Amino acid sequence: MSDFKKILKNNFWLENPVIVQILGICSTLAVTNNLRNTLIMTIGVTLVTALSNFTISAMRNLIPRKVRMITQVLVISFYVIMVDIVLRAYAPDVSKALGPYVGLIITNCIIMGRAEAFAQGNKPLISFWDGFTAGLGYMFVLVVVAFFRELLGFGTVLGFQVLPNSFPKWTIMVMPPSAFFVLASFIWIVRGMQIKKDVNQPTGGEKK
Amino acid sequence: MRFDRDSKVYTVIFTFIVSFAFLVVLSGLNVMTSQQVKKNQELFMIRAVLNAMGIPYTSDDEAIDIFKSKVTMETKDSYNLFSAEVDGEKVYAILFNGSGLWGNISGVLAVNSDVSRIVGIDFISQSETPGLGGRIEESWFKEQFRNEAIVNGKVLVSTTKVPDSKDDGQVDAITGATLTSKSIEKIIATYIPILKSLLGVN
Amino acid sequence: MIYPNINPLVLFFASIFTSNILLTNFLGMCSFISISKDLKSSNGLGIAVTLVMTITTGLNWILERYVITPLDIGYLRYIIYIIVIAAVVQVLEMIIDRVSPNLYMVLGIFLPLITVNCAILGVALFMQLRNYSFIQSVFFGLGSGIGWWLAIVLLAAIRKKTENAPVPAPLKGVGITLITIGIMAMAFIGFAGMINVQ
Repeated sequence: MSDFKKILKNNFWLENPVIVQILGICSTLAVTNNLRNTLIMTIGVTLVTALSNFTISAMRNLIPRKVRMITQVLVISFYVIMVDIVLRAYAPDVSKALGPYVGLIITNCIIMGRAEAFAQGNKPLISFWDGFTAGLGYMFVLVVVAFFRELLGFGTVLGFQVLPNSFPKWTIMVMPPSAFFVLASFIWIVRGMQIKKDVNQPTGGEKK
Repeated sequence: MRFDRDSKVYTVIFTFIVSFAFLVVLSGLNVMTSQQVKKNQELFMIRAVLNAMGIPYTSDDEAIDIFKSKVTMETKDSYNLFSAEVDGEKVYAILFNGSGLWGNISGVLAVNSDVSRIVGIDFISQSETPGLGGRIEESWFKEQFRNEAIVNGKVLVSTTKVPDSKDDGQVDAITGATLTSKSIEKIIATYIPILKSLLGVN
Repeated sequence: MIYPNINPLVLFFASIFTSNILLTNFLGMCSFISISKDLKSSNGLGIAVTLVMTITTGLNWILERYVITPLDIGYLRYIIYIIVIAAVVQVLEMIIDRVSPNLYMVLGIFLPLITVNCAILGVALFMQLRNYSFIQSVFFGLGSGIGWWLAIVLLAAIRKKTENAPVPAPLKGVGITLITIGIMAMAFIGFAGMINVQ
């Protein structure tokens, strides 16, 4: 299924929603000072994006034009509320730590963006895949950011002490500004790699 | 198309059906999980009480068992007072509610029987700035209160470094979170006299 | 109802400076980055956000107090809040268009963008989480809106001044903007001692 592969490559790397389009960081950036919470948050976003893409695509021929936007919001909220209820019941510590940020997944631009751009015009199964891979691309970036922030700020990874106690913890990594800096550095590196690849193309033409 | 999906009638029917289906599924889920959610809330409180009193536990189930068997709870003057025997000494704890910088801070404060030392403190909920005031939940901050002397009816949360003594009634504030730290000082200062009157200590 | 004992004015100033909705809580980023390229649009968007934020926070408080809590439908909170926000934006758009076409030219085009702005939903959710009173909620909403406005105008001004700076290619655009925001966030932390305890 080369279509599936193409979408994966696109959503994960070439047009990674966060790195290239800087979409959707609102809801998760705040929790990136802890790797476990970030993982759970991004898994939630991935699931919601995939499922809502699937649902909207399945309904696409039934949705009246006037209520298109509100229906999309309804579907997305539906899945987000489900995630919230499940977390509250079965992972209360995580739910407490994530707080209102789970609800903010509803306004995550990536989910709306994929629904509008892809699900409205494509079949359910491939829409699901599109949503899922976009979520993966998102997860990739934020998990890397969280990894470094937790490691340098607390010396731990997923709660396990990795760096020796004598390592002076970078308190800035625990505080908000570092999220911006780490993300920017990550973008710097990835874009650098992408640009170099463009320059080295034998045809030298513009790569999409 | 058998029907015109842009007609007003269809739009209304569609919206109704979708909203209804939506509501049914979510209410169902809510009802199914509400028992579990209540249990979780209780668990937060139990863990806070045990942590403040310095009673160790290795799992949530063990925490619930220990709480049920070792801790007695009574409501006095609309305050929730807990008592238990820890290492041969009577320890008392109270559920507190106070204002932080941003919102309510709730937790448990545990003291010894003559209210001369704090046995421990733990938090149940707070909405302080994450990474700054939110650090009151970190163990280094809470452990400062373990066995700290109560001097003049309060414990000073100081913004200048204090000596590592348990007898001076002073602990370190959180760097960059002066206001939240001072709120904790205020909460303790408010509840020490309450504890003293509830326990009949001068 | 026990509300936290915080002076609304303290809340107002704190939400602009020491806990800026954007620089400290990361809310409202999407449109923030794309619109801050242009100073005039940033101003327009800032005003629109402040207006919507204040109104919806107040409305959502009323709904929370008189509908959601009595009926115990807390799990539907997210969808109710967002429908209120969408409705307010729609109504506001109609009113502005009718009352002042000039104002519409400045603000109106941004209004649809605001519906999905995480900051607005976020402020309402924080308000509910922290159990504020009505006055506290309105001041909180107003302050957060002004804080967002301040941040976006500052960023737009900085971007304008550094338009022709030699930025390495991989950092151009998004990267350097993020670093700028990070430095601004650090600067705002300097306000931390400014507000006195009530």
